[in-house]
Amino acid sequence: MASESAYSFSLTTFSPTGKLVQIEHALAAVQKGSAALGIQATNGVVIATEKKVKSPLVDDSTVERLVSITDGIGMAYAGMGPDFRLLTRKAQKKAQEYYLTYKEEIPVLQLTRAVAKIMQEFTQQGGVRPAGVSLLIIGHDHDGPQLFQVDPSGAYFGWRASAIGKGYQQAKTFLEKRYADDMELEDAVHTALLTLREGFEGR
Amino acid sequence: MDSLIGVSGKGFVIVAADMSAARSIMAYQYSDHKILQLDDSKVLGGAGPQADRVRFLEYIEKNVKLNALRTGLTASCHGTAHYVRRELADALRKAPYQVNCLLGGVDADGSGHLYWMDYLATMQETKYSAHGYAGYFILSTLDRYYKEDMTLEQGKELIQTCINEVATRFLINQPKWKVSIVTAEGVTEEVTQPTVDLTDKIPE
Repeated sequence: MASESAYSFSLTTFSPTGKLVQIEHALAAVQKGSAALGIQATNGVVIATEKKVKSPLVDDSTVERLVSITDGIGMAYAGMGPDFRLLTRKAQKKAQEYYLTYKEEIPVLQLTRAVAKIMQEFTQQGGVRPAGVSLLIIGHDHDGPQLFQVDPSGAYFGWRASAIGKGYQQAKTFLEKRYADDMELEDAVHTALLTLREGFEGR
Repeated sequence: MDSLIGVSGKGFVIVAADMSAARSIMAYQYSDHKILQLDDSKVLGGAGPQADRVRFLEYIEKNVKLNALRTGLTASCHGTAHYVRRELADALRKAPYQVNCLLGGVDADGSGHLYWMDYLATMQETKYSAHGYAGYFILSTLDRYYKEDMTLEQGKELIQTCINEVATRFLINQPKWKVSIVTAEGVTEEVTQPTVDLTDKIPE
């Protein structure tokens, strides 16, 4: 579709087929990133991600792929690390602002919506670009354990299990087969590791 | 000159306020509503200059509603109380609201809570409390007659006792009172009057 690329210069212009081409490109950046996946169990929720470093000389204790937003909410990503860092900081601040106002821990869904709002604003404001990450957000609150995914467009979804990044299609198929509603946390962790191993390349 | 009285018990909260709007020697009206219903499970009473009070109570009322629409959730009494306090605190060193508040609510788990807030953004959860001159007269009444396991009816009687005490001893006439009652079923409002006959106090 040659006409698509004619619209790829501008974040805020629709292409004739109704796409925002920059967001499509952002999703491509996500799909090249290291895999991450999440599974919701009856008594908890788990996210897992590959931490592969480019060289044995890298001090991998300084590479952060899983981050706590609060004591009850965690976040993982696939895509561009620096964009994840920015979103992590903003999410942590939103969580504390919520606490300052209500003296209550922010519910997982509300934090997800706040992050999704920020990511959507990156698709419709001047001088910025979409975030080159998809996020997996997990947490535990009054509504139990929850797992959410947020995409560069700002769309967010609640999942029982999901995968993002390299090999996410196969990972999702694998999860579809293995997921059960009555899974407990131990099983979920085990399944998460199995799923990552399926897509693991080499070393 | 506003009087606010609040009593919380197992599964209910009652907030009562006088309905007089007065200045100097003139009583303008006896239909001033000083308690606003925030939602099905919370009420907020305010005492202070009418302009500040109306502005602040309506501002909170609308923001609580907005938050409920945005999130699809009913906020907890605790969260709402802290939100109100934060609004008072933020405004304090800019454009303070001279409003003393009583926030009463019943949570989803059926427990009743009463929060006392003053215009300096002090806040304390209490079993019973009051604002205005009324407090000077009836905090001791409440100390004496309040019981933790009171029923709603007993709570209403206690409020009436307090209203009567204020009518007997406070020199300012407050002939009509609004009583907001919050239970797990929702919010109801009543208008009452003191039931004490002051001619009893005139010696033969």
